[in-house]
Amino acid sequence: MANIFPKWSNSVPRKVIIALILLFVALVAGINYYLTPKYANVGYEPTQPVDFEHSLHVGQLGMDCRYCHTYVDRSEHSNIPATQTCMNCHNQIKTDSDRLAPIRASYESGKAVQWVKVHHAPEYVYFNHAVHVNRGVSCVECHGKVNEMKVVYQDKSLSMTFCLDCHRNPENFVRPLNEVYNLDWKAESPEKQKQQGLAYVHDWKITPPVSCSGCHR
Amino acid sequence: MKSDNLNNDKENKMPQEETPNGRNYWRSLDELTGAPEFKQWLDREFPEGASEINGVDRRQFMKIMAASFALAGVGLAGCRQQTVNVLPYSKQPERIVPGVPIYYTSSMPSAKDNIPLLVETHDARPTKIEGNPSYLAYNGATDTFSQASILNLYDPDRAQRSMDNDKGKALSKAEVLDLFTYINHQFSETQGEGLAVLAEPSSSPTRARLVNEFKKKFPKAVWAEYDPTVDNSAEKVLGRFFQYSDPLADKMPDDFIRPQYHFENAKRILAIDSDFLHSEPGQLGNSRAFANARRVHTTKDASKMNRLYAVESNFTLTGGMADHRLRLPASHATAFTHLVAAEIFELAGWDSAVVDALRQKGSGLTVDHKWIKECARDLYDYRKQSLIIAGDDMPEDIHFLVMLMNNLLSAEGETVSYSKLPSDQAISIKELADLIKKGTIGTLVVLGGNPVYNAPADLNWPKLQKSINRVTHLSYYFNETSKLANEHIAANHYLESWGDGRAYDGTYVPVQPMILPLFDGFTELELLAKVLGLKDAEPYGLVRETFESMNPNISIEEWLGLGVLKNSEFPYVSFKISRSQVENFVERAETISVPQLSEDNLEVRLVLSNQVLDGRYNNNGWLQELPDPLTKLTWDNAISISPRLAKELTQKTGLPIVPKASLMNELGQLEHDANSFLRGKEQAFVAELTVNGKTVKGPLHVQPGLADYTLVIPVGYGRTVTGNVGSGTGFDAYPLSIGSINTPLVGARLKISDEIYELANTQEHWSMEGRAILRESTADDYAHNPDFVNKMGVESHSPAIYGTAKNDSLQKKVTEIPRGGSLYKTPDFTGAQQWGMSIDLNTCTGCNACVVACQSENNIPIIGKDQVLRGREMHWIRMDRYFSSNDNNTMEIPEDPQVSFMSMLCQHCELAPCETVCPVNATVHDESGLNVMAYNRCVGTRYCANNCPYKVRRFNFFDWNKREIDHFYEGPMGPSGMPELHKMQKNPNVTVRMRGVMEKCTFCVQRIEAAKINQRVKAKDSPDVMVPDGAIKTACQQVCPTESIVFGDVADANTRVSKLKGLDMNYSVLGYLNTRPRTTYLAKLRNPNPLMPDYYPLPNTRSEYEKRYGHGVPHEAEVSHN
Repeated sequence: MANIFPKWSNSVPRKVIIALILLFVALVAGINYYLTPKYANVGYEPTQPVDFEHSLHVGQLGMDCRYCHTYVDRSEHSNIPATQTCMNCHNQIKTDSDRLAPIRASYESGKAVQWVKVHHAPEYVYFNHAVHVNRGVSCVECHGKVNEMKVVYQDKSLSMTFCLDCHRNPENFVRPLNEVYNLDWKAESPEKQKQQGLAYVHDWKITPPVSCSGCHR
Repeated sequence: MKSDNLNNDKENKMPQEETPNGRNYWRSLDELTGAPEFKQWLDREFPEGASEINGVDRRQFMKIMAASFALAGVGLAGCRQQTVNVLPYSKQPERIVPGVPIYYTSSMPSAKDNIPLLVETHDARPTKIEGNPSYLAYNGATDTFSQASILNLYDPDRAQRSMDNDKGKALSKAEVLDLFTYINHQFSETQGEGLAVLAEPSSSPTRARLVNEFKKKFPKAVWAEYDPTVDNSAEKVLGRFFQYSDPLADKMPDDFIRPQYHFENAKRILAIDSDFLHSEPGQLGNSRAFANARRVHTTKDASKMNRLYAVESNFTLTGGMADHRLRLPASHATAFTHLVAAEIFELAGWDSAVVDALRQKGSGLTVDHKWIKECARDLYDYRKQSLIIAGDDMPEDIHFLVMLMNNLLSAEGETVSYSKLPSDQAISIKELADLIKKGTIGTLVVLGGNPVYNAPADLNWPKLQKSINRVTHLSYYFNETSKLANEHIAANHYLESWGDGRAYDGTYVPVQPMILPLFDGFTELELLAKVLGLKDAEPYGLVRETFESMNPNISIEEWLGLGVLKNSEFPYVSFKISRSQVENFVERAETISVPQLSEDNLEVRLVLSNQVLDGRYNNNGWLQELPDPLTKLTWDNAISISPRLAKELTQKTGLPIVPKASLMNELGQLEHDANSFLRGKEQAFVAELTVNGKTVKGPLHVQPGLADYTLVIPVGYGRTVTGNVGSGTGFDAYPLSIGSINTPLVGARLKISDEIYELANTQEHWSMEGRAILRESTADDYAHNPDFVNKMGVESHSPAIYGTAKNDSLQKKVTEIPRGGSLYKTPDFTGAQQWGMSIDLNTCTGCNACVVACQSENNIPIIGKDQVLRGREMHWIRMDRYFSSNDNNTMEIPEDPQVSFMSMLCQHCELAPCETVCPVNATVHDESGLNVMAYNRCVGTRYCANNCPYKVRRFNFFDWNKREIDHFYEGPMGPSGMPELHKMQKNPNVTVRMRGVMEKCTFCVQRIEAAKINQRVKAKDSPDVMVPDGAIKTACQQVCPTESIVFGDVADANTRVSKLKGLDMNYSVLGYLNTRPRTTYLAKLRNPNPLMPDYYPLPNTRSEYEKRYGHGVPHEAEVSHN
């Protein structure tokens, strides 16, 4: 019987299998790196209809977070301010600015400004702002240094791992209640943070839920 | 390179289609590279690359920047992160905090009893209805209809605009108002001659005020009221009696006198065809008070337990609660009452003339006289603490006798009081029909209701209505009456209207809107005001006027805030009975004719459906899918027949109306269902029922517990003009009605065909087959054997569940899970608060309000009849009902059974069998003891449902929410999308589940978390994080009128639930499986009278158990006492 296949085809199955394995590994690695929130979401910086600058309003002018995000300590949502809130000042300041035209248009027409949501957790996650800010978790822990952002970008991955990192070890992230809205505050050192944090966790009985029912209902 | 696929418009999810403004959107790379922000962005992100952009060739640019473009959100923004918009208000309304619900008080409009409500609204739309706890008599409970009424608000089939039927065009709001102003002008001259208004009876004082003005302004006009669910005979007859009895009392002519029951004081109760626990008005207060007198927590309470005797032809929930039940055809009730009266009068010492006359009147009745004698004796022995009550729809003679008997039992002021209320001053629909026949009515305004569909058939109302010149119909749905009317006016839902009303005892409650009318509808008050030509026709103004006229000592805002006006009940009056009145009554001492019923001479009772009432809720999916408490039928009505009749018919026709016994297990044991089932679908034979010359055709359903030759047919089905949900459900039984639907019809015949109709029955088998699932005992037995519950069931003889830890405290058991022996290591129960629930079977009446409340709170979908036939109903809590016979023979369908109800929901087992088998760990335990379901993780293996011994897990076989009922099998080709209105009802705090996901009761985890969050927000930097007992009420707990369901922290020994779990009668269902459920039950107790002929030393389920698995039954119980 003559040889049907050439000699070099002997090594083909082995090469194919190895190639497939390598491909699969690359795929998994790629997905795990590129398609997880840590890569895909961090740095997301969409263009907003109005180029509102937090660095100006909060950083320079010193406005408190809660002037605009009024319900953060009462509700699960930290609300984007109504156009009315902007007009509180901007009916006197920069009343003719081009950059504020959409705001004025919204105020006159009653239609909402189409803000683009930056921090978007999936719908099956039920997050509540009020319980976090009232118990010593500052805005900066999840949203980064918003007071230094010209355009808001997503600073943290907000993945489940990210949430659990704090929920399992809240002492690394809690701060005195009067510093919650002070985004520049930092403990003197990581050890001091841990020490103070443990004291708060004990004194205030901080017991964040770590099982599914805490966030998935 | 102008490439449109890089156009942001298509990728971004913009809610509006208008052209975007300027700088945000670029349509090509050219535009993009030219834009200053882009240059800025480039500078920031790619300092090296920035300089290369200018003047570089596009292809090279794309090569360098492609990957970063794509992932940085430029161009293919949709790939990296879906663009979602946040739309804040332009001008923020006051008081609305997004995410925090606002509660408004209101009440459910009705003819006799406006149930006070507290409605939860999210973002200015109502999502859940609760009872108003400020009204102490009901304590925040509601019934199934109030719970389901919110779905009606968001029904796409509701009338969205008014219609002119003659011209076939829609009417604008202005045109409708003009129409009514025209009526005012037309009839002002003639003082209303030729004008008639047919309205539904209402408890609203504002409407009563407007009706008075109507009568003053249009003295020749006619005001009629009709509602098949309302019967004023009791109030009328007592009112007339009151007129005669006390000429000096302060009263108006035709006042009504309404009995107000104080069941909490009643130790012995006789209910003559009265379903006071479920379908009579005031049932919430009755249930609550009755349960208070029935509740037994210790052996000392056992002797204080009340005793209920029920006499009825249909099997109702009151009959289910009864300790002694006599099946009596409805047409025999009058004679029966006379016999009872004879006994009571004799015991009270009246002379034999009266007693014999009463006996003579009832002498045509064949009945067990000992039953009546002992019952009367028991009632009389407990006079001042006993009560006789007759159903609202009983004939006047019965009401009169009942009033007399209560007087002899010294019940007045103790167990019953009489309150005086203004009469309805309306004529009946029959009188209106006579006037129409005479031709005196030219214009008829029908306010609400559906007389073409539900008027008594002998009036031939459709023909009459068509003969009137002009008919205008105001109604919420476009229904049969609207079709025959000249104009149909869309009505507003009560959640969108201003109004008022009175609870059963007269407390003045508001009807408050909490959402602007969704469509162009009208309120009844506003149209009446227009007809009257009132200047101020705004319903709010009218209600305010009425409120001020009540001389309240609070402001209207306080009234609306509290939801009730304290001390506004109807005043009590007292009766004086003279001998002459009694003698007048018994003077006509003829025997009351009592029809002899047989298979050829059947009695037919038309009853209000427990689901759709008189047909008004026909299009309400929740109610259609709610199983009837006793028949367990959904989506249909049936002709219910008794087992004896079924047996006779089976013998006569040879058709298996009584099914053959089927094999239950490999041991050869047989079981016998009450109806034939094929793979879970009830196979009902279709029959033609003819009575008084009218025929209807419907499926037969064998119902244990009916009087032998009485057929029971629920009305409200078979509608011809109804929405998508109600079309094609059931058959119309109204054509049989004569006079009113309450009159029993005698002389019916059945003709059975061999055609089979499938009925969606959610519970196939009726018996527990002697197993100790629902544990019962009598009060006597409990007093002597307080731990009977632990001597029952497999766990009483199986290896120890807790072993030496048996005597540990509950708190220790729920946190340490001693002697678990499970391979699966449950998470440590480290939560500071551990959740558990206790359900008291003794006080549960089986009303099913918990089922609808759970559906409302947890976004549970409805699935349609076809899927219910396959057993896929999604109710997270279900009400199981078990019949048990006194001869303990489960091979015969019981003719005179006892019924027991058990609500079954996820037991949240500490050692849950469902958790160990999930391949993806979607169902786990949390630190507080809840068995939690993560919907996004579930892949739909259904192994957990397989393993659950209680079968409480429900699977979403199809996308019940997005896909339409009866189109599920079309898959992706079928219609998809939830109507916007349905979306508005959904609770935003609960996930709406998709196809392929398992769901089950979560102990209302959203409420638990909300309470914990609220407590922590309040605590701030203090350690005060424990949620106080009672702050969390699960939906089922909140709605239960008898407070049978109690939820709370079992790690705290002082909470109510911990105390209940420590009672003697506490047990776990299927406890021998070592599942350690957190939901435990308190056994049911019955309180039979040893002197009664149908006395039983042990309830039937118990003697079934003792006979089969227990220690045998005491000899007395074995002897049949029929």
